[in-house]
Amino acid sequence: MTPIVETRDLTRRYGPNLALDHLNLTVPEGAIFGFIGPNGAGKTTTMRILTTLLPPTSGEARVAGVSVTREPRTVRRLVGFMPDFFGVYDNMKSWEYLDFFGRSYGIPAQRRQQLIGELLELVDLAHKRDEPVMSLSRGMKQRLSLARSMMHDPRLLILDEPASGLDPRARIELRELLKELRAMGKTIMISSHILTELAEMCTHIGIIERGKLLAAGEVQEILRTMRPHRIVEIRVVAGAARAEELLRTHPDVLELRREGARAGSDDEKAPLDDETGPHTLLADFAGDEHALGDLLALLIAEGVRISHFAEQSGDLEDIFLHVTKGIV
Amino acid sequence: MLELNPILVKDLRSRMRGARAYFLLTIYLLILAGVTLLLYAAISGDIGSDLNAGRRIGQALFFTIATVALIEVCLITPVLTSGSIAGEKERQTYDLLVASLLTPWQIVWGKLVSALAFALLLITAIVPVMSLAFLFGGVGLTEVLIAIVGLIVTAVLYATIGLFWSALLNSSLGATSFAIGTVIALLLGIPFLIVIASLILGSSAPSDLLDSAWFIYLSRFVAALHPFIALGATASQLSGGGNPFFEVVRTSATNVVVPSPWVLYTALSLLFSAALLAASVRLAQPVQPGADRQKRSRKVVEAES
Repeated sequence: MTPIVETRDLTRRYGPNLALDHLNLTVPEGAIFGFIGPNGAGKTTTMRILTTLLPPTSGEARVAGVSVTREPRTVRRLVGFMPDFFGVYDNMKSWEYLDFFGRSYGIPAQRRQQLIGELLELVDLAHKRDEPVMSLSRGMKQRLSLARSMMHDPRLLILDEPASGLDPRARIELRELLKELRAMGKTIMISSHILTELAEMCTHIGIIERGKLLAAGEVQEILRTMRPHRIVEIRVVAGAARAEELLRTHPDVLELRREGARAGSDDEKAPLDDETGPHTLLADFAGDEHALGDLLALLIAEGVRISHFAEQSGDLEDIFLHVTKGIV
Repeated sequence: MLELNPILVKDLRSRMRGARAYFLLTIYLLILAGVTLLLYAAISGDIGSDLNAGRRIGQALFFTIATVALIEVCLITPVLTSGSIAGEKERQTYDLLVASLLTPWQIVWGKLVSALAFALLLITAIVPVMSLAFLFGGVGLTEVLIAIVGLIVTAVLYATIGLFWSALLNSSLGATSFAIGTVIALLLGIPFLIVIASLILGSSAPSDLLDSAWFIYLSRFVAALHPFIALGATASQLSGGGNPFFEVVRTSATNVVVPSPWVLYTALSLLFSAALLAASVRLAQPVQPGADRQKRSRKVVEAES
């Protein structure tokens, strides 16, 4: 299957500055692709190239197999773009705003009227149909903008920093809306420099810094492969001192911490007392699944009573800090 | 069904909504009517009551109204268009237009026609005031038609001047300043050049140079760049009983046939308008060669950082 977005050695220079450096990016159809990177990493530049607003200096970018430089008009039909700002017109009502962009995409009048109603319903603004755009709240404007980018039924939605400046409620609404759009079969490419924003909604991510793609792929895959080691949370009901002793000497355990204790503090050195338990231990484990199974078997064989033994779910933030160098 | 240009529909909708358009139209007509009234009060007592008094009042009224209307068109139309494309850039809606299926031509054309539609409304609104002159006589249909053509052509040219600056610059304030600056430079610069040239040539140039055909064409060409000079010269030519389309300049050597100033003015204006329109369409391309691309690219870098 043709990926919806494919870039090959995509490079963009602004004078002496290299904004994109041989970017090779693939976004599969139907994904919610989170494009993460610090400010100035090249996210907006990539998105502007994909929306035909900016020509690449070299390399190639394709949307659904169509070259953005050779057939920009075809690409514009395929892409719905929501920039990181909301362009407002004075003296314009919500439905007129959508109507204008519908006309701009050559949608016939009858279909347009029907679409405006459907889209306003979708973004939950049907009751604001005749309100001036200027009077809408920021979150509402954002949703109207999303409806605008949907007017010509694009296969790919490119959203540049859609959640910036939104209050928590508006952010949740946006997230729900994006899920709904995905269910409708749209591929969504969304950029952000706020990780938590993306972690909750993306199926795929790409991490970019200084114009280079550092990592890209399915979120779960990235979490699995990019993490240097896993953290195992062990809750010990009895035999905590023995468990600690075993774990400290285990070759795969790189570091052991007691939950709630400060690293290096004195109480870290005193043996654990089961009376004050149950205790939770956090082990940085470098081994694979099998080694983890063996570790659990060993602890149990040594008479340690365990009520909880689980790998902590990974955090995109760790990955991000690990992968990027923070030089931008 | 063929749809209207989306930009035209949008701009007309927002331009005509609210009190602004009516306010502008009212002020425009008030100035025009006020000047007419003052002029009538001033000359009616002066002229006396001979048989030709009505004719003279009619002519004076007509030329004054036409002149005031021309001044207003020269100043209003560039302002109507100078904010158009630059305004989209300022509101950050320009990228949305460019990323849609609208062509640069559609964007530029829609902006021009929506401004011209309003300018045309202003021109149409003066027709009743102008028709007052008919009550007194002394003005023929030819004069009125030429005046209206002159106003429309001026509106088109000055609107494209504003449009050009609007497509070139990123701020509407800058575009408006440059548009008004260009209009002032044209309206004051050309008469200034003519005065300087005639001062120099009048004292030192040999008469065979002044009588040569190319010199006559050149001087007519320069004069035809200025709406007031071109239309004023036509008015005096018509009141002298001349042909409305051409005149014969008699020199000591030969007779030179030149087009009437308003014909030349109309042709040149349309030519310049077309050139400015083409330049604006080129500037409205999302991907531009040369300096402007760099400028816009830098903005993106700034926006990202």
